[in-house]
Amino acid sequence: MSTALMLATAEIRRGRARFSAVVSALSLIVFLVLVLGALADGLFFGATGAVRSTTATAYAFSAEAEGSLVRSRLDTKDVAAFAQAPGVESAGPVGVLLTGGTGPQGDIDLSVFGIEMGSAGTPTTLVAGRLPQPGENGVAAADQQLQQSGIEIGSIVAVGEVQAEIVGIVTDTAYQLQPTIWTSVDTWRAMRDAVRPELIGQVTAINSVALVTEPGADLTQIAASVADTTVLTAEATGLAIPGVEQQNATLTSIIYTTLAVSALVVALFFALLVLEKRELFAALKALGTPTSRLGVSVIIQAVVSSVLGVIIGAVVSRLFGLIIPASVPTLFRTETLITIGIFTVIAGFVGALFSLRRIARIDPATAIGGAL
Amino acid sequence: MAEQNSTSETLATSGGVPALLRVDEVTKIYGSGHTAVTALQAASMSVDTNEFVALLGPSGSGKTTLISIIGGLLAPTSGSIHLGGVDVTGLSARELTRFRAERVGFVFQSANLVPFLTARENLLYVAGLTKMPKSHARQRADQLLEELGLAARAKNVPEQLSGGERQRVAIGRALMNDPDLVLVDEPTAALDTALGRQVVQLLRREIKDRGKTGIMVTHDLRMVEYTDRVFEILDGHLTHVESPTTAGH
Repeated sequence: MSTALMLATAEIRRGRARFSAVVSALSLIVFLVLVLGALADGLFFGATGAVRSTTATAYAFSAEAEGSLVRSRLDTKDVAAFAQAPGVESAGPVGVLLTGGTGPQGDIDLSVFGIEMGSAGTPTTLVAGRLPQPGENGVAAADQQLQQSGIEIGSIVAVGEVQAEIVGIVTDTAYQLQPTIWTSVDTWRAMRDAVRPELIGQVTAINSVALVTEPGADLTQIAASVADTTVLTAEATGLAIPGVEQQNATLTSIIYTTLAVSALVVALFFALLVLEKRELFAALKALGTPTSRLGVSVIIQAVVSSVLGVIIGAVVSRLFGLIIPASVPTLFRTETLITIGIFTVIAGFVGALFSLRRIARIDPATAIGGAL
Repeated sequence: MAEQNSTSETLATSGGVPALLRVDEVTKIYGSGHTAVTALQAASMSVDTNEFVALLGPSGSGKTTLISIIGGLLAPTSGSIHLGGVDVTGLSARELTRFRAERVGFVFQSANLVPFLTARENLLYVAGLTKMPKSHARQRADQLLEELGLAARAKNVPEQLSGGERQRVAIGRALMNDPDLVLVDEPTAALDTALGRQVVQLLRREIKDRGKTGIMVTHDLRMVEYTDRVFEILDGHLTHVESPTTAGH
């Protein structure tokens, strides 16, 4: 083992130029994958924040809505019915509006969530100021992203003629990539009526009911307590947002295909390296080096190269993240980095395995007589 | 099973047993049927401890085949090799690897040092293939390098060494594990005459001083004067020659 380590590390140390080639290739791949990962996470988190960053563990929908908050139509009286359902701790109304509005610097894209502050569905990610009080109309908490549009505590956001004063800032609450303002159901309904006049008069209509359920609660049974409704977990509600699951699947397959390519890069590099060292390996075998030690030395080198590739790729991708325009949703998460790092090292390990057969086939007898 | 045990015992207690090499009726046939080529025909030879012999012959004569079989790199078609009582031809592939690490020292034609290890590390590398304690290995490597006039070059990689220095490191590596048998393959092929002579003289001295058995493959008649006896191979037939000057090219 120590001889394998000696071979592996000495070659990397004294042949830096050569190993920098494979480390650079791996760094580029890791960089690419991490940026893709950041885009995937950015899209996912940007689309689903409003249903993840609240107290709700589940959402109720009208049956035909297929889990879509904007398509769902429920009534305020359903809130009380759900609150009585077995396994439900609390329930709160949710009104959703995707719209354009105006802020201090002009037009902005918004999602407006009307909720009953303090009940199920209240955001949990307040970073500054306060949430509106229960029953307090004409005020809202704004997603941190809106700060880029000049919105601060005290700013006025208007949808049509309806205004709300911002009293607090929350984070990670975007919905379908549009930053959310959180307000009362009444203010939300006034904003809805301002942009969708055909809905004026539907004074008890809401989109969904946010639920805080007991651990292990049966969602089907909860849905059964109100006719023509379905109940999804908060996570499933996020995935049911149009496009989210598809985007996730597409980007994830690109990421794992690219990681498979990194295994090929490592395989190719070490195959060439072994080919080049055929004569040396034959001599080392003749001197009594077991094939397994030569294999282990190549695997150590592949793993070390992959680890260096991950470190460099991670640093470069984070630096790159600083110059990505704010309009592109990206999110660099440590969890994603760890997952991709582990997969890259495994890919490097697997790539090196391809060289083992080649090493095993080297005949030590070729070391004598200059037969090569 | 009993035979295997005695084999590994003998392998382990290499120190005390006098290394006597016996090659009995060794034949090597490559291929089969119409394409069969006899590289070695019933070759027999005996070399004692403290002996340094030359194996002469033109290329294709079978000398590479013979030395490969003696060194446990190639299995003979028939016949046997005994080194210090161990039947080399009876060893498994795994045992042969260990046998080569512990009992045989090789000096290759073009030194074949590990290019990314220093002179000293090249010696320590082969020690790492045996159970030699690390402190002992370091001491022995330094001592060998000193003897071979390489103390000042210990930290240089092969690229920074001259051809003669490289070949001297290779000699040090061959002696590192205190083998019974040192096999030397055309050590002067890459060197000029004067340097070649120096290297072979050094080889002779090191082998003799340590009471080892040495076999040197060469086609260079000028080098045989440093050896005790000369064997010649022609077309797979091994003969012991009295006067090496008759050995043809």
